[in-house]
Amino acid sequence: MQQEPIDPAGITWMRVSPQYAKVRMVGWGISALITLVVLSVPLVLQLTGVWPGYPLWLGIGLPAIVLIAELIRLAVIPRQVAAIGYAERDDDLLVRHGLMFQKVLVVPYGRMQFVDVAVGPIDRMLGLCKIKLHTAAADATAEIPGLPLAEGTRLREQLAARGESRLAGL
Amino acid sequence: MPHTQDDTNTREPWHRVHPVSPLVRGWIAVVAIAFVYGQNTLSSFIEPELSSPEDGFMMGESLLIPILIGSGILIVILLGFLGSWWFTKYQITDRHVNVNSGMVFRKQRQARIDRVQSIDIAQPLVARIFGLAELRFDVADSGSAAMSLAFIKLSEAQELRNTILARAAGLKSSTGQQHTEVSTQLTTVMDPETTTHLQTSLPQQVPSPAPTSAGVQTQQASERVVAMVPLGRLIGSLLLRPVAIFGLVAIIAVGVAMSMVEDFRPLFLLPGLLGVGGLMWKHINTGYNFKAATSADGLRLSYGLLDTRHQTVPPGRVQAIEIHGPLFWRRAGWYRVAVNVAGIGGPGAEDSEERSVLLPVGTYEDVLAVLSVVLPDPGVQEARDFFAAAINGTGQDHGFTTSDPRVRPLSPLAYRRQGFAVTHTALVARNGALHRTTVIVPHERTQGIRLSQGPLARRFNVAEVGLATTAGPVTPVVKQLDVEEARALFLSQSDRAALARKKFDTNHWLEENLHDEER
Repeated sequence: MQQEPIDPAGITWMRVSPQYAKVRMVGWGISALITLVVLSVPLVLQLTGVWPGYPLWLGIGLPAIVLIAELIRLAVIPRQVAAIGYAERDDDLLVRHGLMFQKVLVVPYGRMQFVDVAVGPIDRMLGLCKIKLHTAAADATAEIPGLPLAEGTRLREQLAARGESRLAGL
Repeated sequence: MPHTQDDTNTREPWHRVHPVSPLVRGWIAVVAIAFVYGQNTLSSFIEPELSSPEDGFMMGESLLIPILIGSGILIVILLGFLGSWWFTKYQITDRHVNVNSGMVFRKQRQARIDRVQSIDIAQPLVARIFGLAELRFDVADSGSAAMSLAFIKLSEAQELRNTILARAAGLKSSTGQQHTEVSTQLTTVMDPETTTHLQTSLPQQVPSPAPTSAGVQTQQASERVVAMVPLGRLIGSLLLRPVAIFGLVAIIAVGVAMSMVEDFRPLFLLPGLLGVGGLMWKHINTGYNFKAATSADGLRLSYGLLDTRHQTVPPGRVQAIEIHGPLFWRRAGWYRVAVNVAGIGGPGAEDSEERSVLLPVGTYEDVLAVLSVVLPDPGVQEARDFFAAAINGTGQDHGFTTSDPRVRPLSPLAYRRQGFAVTHTALVARNGALHRTTVIVPHERTQGIRLSQGPLARRFNVAEVGLATTAGPVTPVVKQLDVEEARALFLSQSDRAALARKKFDTNHWLEENLHDEER
């Protein structure tokens, strides 16, 4: 995995399954389709003569621009997925996200309040799951999507065990 | 009453809240129903003149029916109140507070005493008239589910608070006896000499009390007032808020503009004035007679004009502290101190805004005095100079690392001020040029650390480091730090936090080695 300038030194990141890109793409497909359909409504109305006053260039231009933007988003998805990484250290878990807006989060095991494992319908088809580590602080919720089920289970057990042994108050 | 829960201690007696409490809580509803109903009934008697004269004959009869219906409704409401009172019971054991409530849907709630984050005695106006109080007990959940005993006698509430705090402190007695001893001991520690010493040369450590013996009987841990807010300063501070200034300017402007028009009446300005006035009133009502005091139980806050509240925040419950110096207050030298305490600041928590304030408006000395209580050990030499640099300073003095001058285009004013310093006990983040803020997060309270960078920041080779804390008004963040420094801070701070966590666990603040027993 490529090291970004923001990444702390001396960390070996584990990456999530590249399969996860498919999950993201399905999500992208649904949202892009809805947006495009909604934006194309005026064009259809204009062409069918219901709303003749609507300018044709706007009717074509707006969906076209959005379509380009959505296609760029689609193209970036595999790289975004590749940018997700996590690393287990002795006392804490590190999670990184993002290409454009990069973010690295460290959450101490002892601060962990509970762990969620979530599996969506497409996740299930691909044998993936998502782990969410909650702390008392809402903005310190570490989320690792796109883990293979076995790895997700291992990580959950590992987190629970380490959380137990390093449990701190609040 | 069946007590199915295992942890319910059958030896401790169960108590009921005061019988009038449902009325105190529901009086608005009762008055509203009475008003609406009464008005409807009465108006049907005043109106008849308009309708046919025969209706007049019916008067004697028709008066009876509404009265019957009215008293019927009243009886049902009173029965409901009686039932809700009867089925609300509470019990305080060595480790838990249990509250059972609900008539149809029964609810048993249990909270661990050693998890108490803050404990309040609140007296809304009506409860005050009856001499009653609500005891609120916050644990560290996401907010809404604080335990509340409403309403009990004020003296009872105070006694319960002392008992709970004594048990939370880790004293295993079933009475407040030992606690009393501790508090007396603390009183002797906090003699006037210490007091003046504290106020002149700040954050010397407030001596942490050890349970040893002493003799005098006091009912509650004695307090020493560290800061007060005089009414004049409170009003002054409200007038110097941007809302007030812009509000008044807007009203005057509208007034002038309207007076150009014919048939202008000053009455037209009333809504605007009411809006600004209402906001002011809210702050005066909550900030009136504000007092911050220290005691063995931690920081005690009391405030309120009509509705009063006494808040106790045990030591080690404060997750983050913010000292805010707005531009308009600078000339007067005033600051505001707010904190994050788990369970108080959450989005679902009641009155979270006012309950998170340690000092609504205070002088520099007041700020230092309050700080010395919530952050007994600042972990630096020459704490006074350090805090001067933290609260108002710029540049790299006193261990501060600031943004590189190259971020000047991004923050033309703040770049010399924004930065951080690390002491032995806490991380201090400094931000803002016009409205200055200083945020302090004790190392052992760090919940997580964020390192983030957007596209613009990447161009300037800077990054932002944020510390995660529980929900509340304080957001600790170090902005626009050089990437190298940000990365170093990210790693070193997580190590410091891990180390501090191992050293401290403040669940029971008067007892050591509780850890083994607890789990």
